[in-house]
Amino acid sequence: MKSDLSDVQQRVNRYWYTDGLAEIIGGGMFILLGAYFALQDFLGPNSTISVILQVSLVLVLIGGAFVSRRLINSLKTRLTYPRTGYVEYRVNKKDTGRKRILVATLAFTISALTIAFVAIFKSFDSMAAVTGFIVGMILVLLRGKASGLFRFYILGAISLLLGLAISASGLNEGYALGLYYGLMGVCFLVSGGLTLAHYLHENPLPAEGQSGQ
Amino acid sequence: MGNDLRSVTELDRLIHEPARLLIVTILSTVASADFLFLQRETGLTKGNLSAHLSKLEEAGYVKIEKTFKGKLPLTVCSLTADGQKALAQYRRQMQDFILKTQ
Repeated sequence: MKSDLSDVQQRVNRYWYTDGLAEIIGGGMFILLGAYFALQDFLGPNSTISVILQVSLVLVLIGGAFVSRRLINSLKTRLTYPRTGYVEYRVNKKDTGRKRILVATLAFTISALTIAFVAIFKSFDSMAAVTGFIVGMILVLLRGKASGLFRFYILGAISLLLGLAISASGLNEGYALGLYYGLMGVCFLVSGGLTLAHYLHENPLPAEGQSGQ
Repeated sequence: MGNDLRSVTELDRLIHEPARLLIVTILSTVASADFLFLQRETGLTKGNLSAHLSKLEEAGYVKIEKTFKGKLPLTVCSLTADGQKALAQYRRQMQDFILKTQ
């Protein structure tokens, strides 16, 4: 019998990422977001489609989050739960409140920094670096630390380096962000894909009558 | 044996058993988990896990439901309010005992 109680919470947190599905879907969303930003630069500021895209960013993000969650749950029902079991995570109302405050503080800080940056340097050229830093911190602090999975630390480092490299390349803001999100999306797809392949190999479907259900 | 240390004999033996302590601890960190997940996390055999869950259910610490997620049949377990109180009480007693014997 496994008897180590000290990391029970972390093992349960880690379980959500054990199949790589969240990364695969997240990677797909990142690539779509990359296409969104690149398309805006391609179409130019006077294009009607570009204006529509700009005002619909919030809808795109909210819709993307909603679709992602449903897609992940649907794939987990088919692939993960029959193999290694089902968990419903606790939603702690206090934690939800704290997370909202954290997200709001982060959003405010980013907005303030962006405004300050443009005022001082008269340029958005560092948006990719700032984005890379923020995504990297989220990966390391919220995902890596919470789950104890090393690959999130690697993805965090890639995000940071990618953001810096793309900012240094001198690309326009839209193309820079498009390239950042596109390449990070590919990284997530690769990471998630390898994790899923390993998971399916290590966890074949139980034979009839052995699932314990 | 002093009164302070004697309180260790009042530990809830239902939770104190290592396998059941692990089951209850896992369930305390989630809203619910199914039988297969518990079996894999605890490393217990199917029969052993069933027996422990039955004891916990009889005591009112665990609720067991047969349900579906889409078309997938599941036996889902969750810790009741009594189970959470019993685990919290057990933790306090153990921490107290450890502090007094250090």
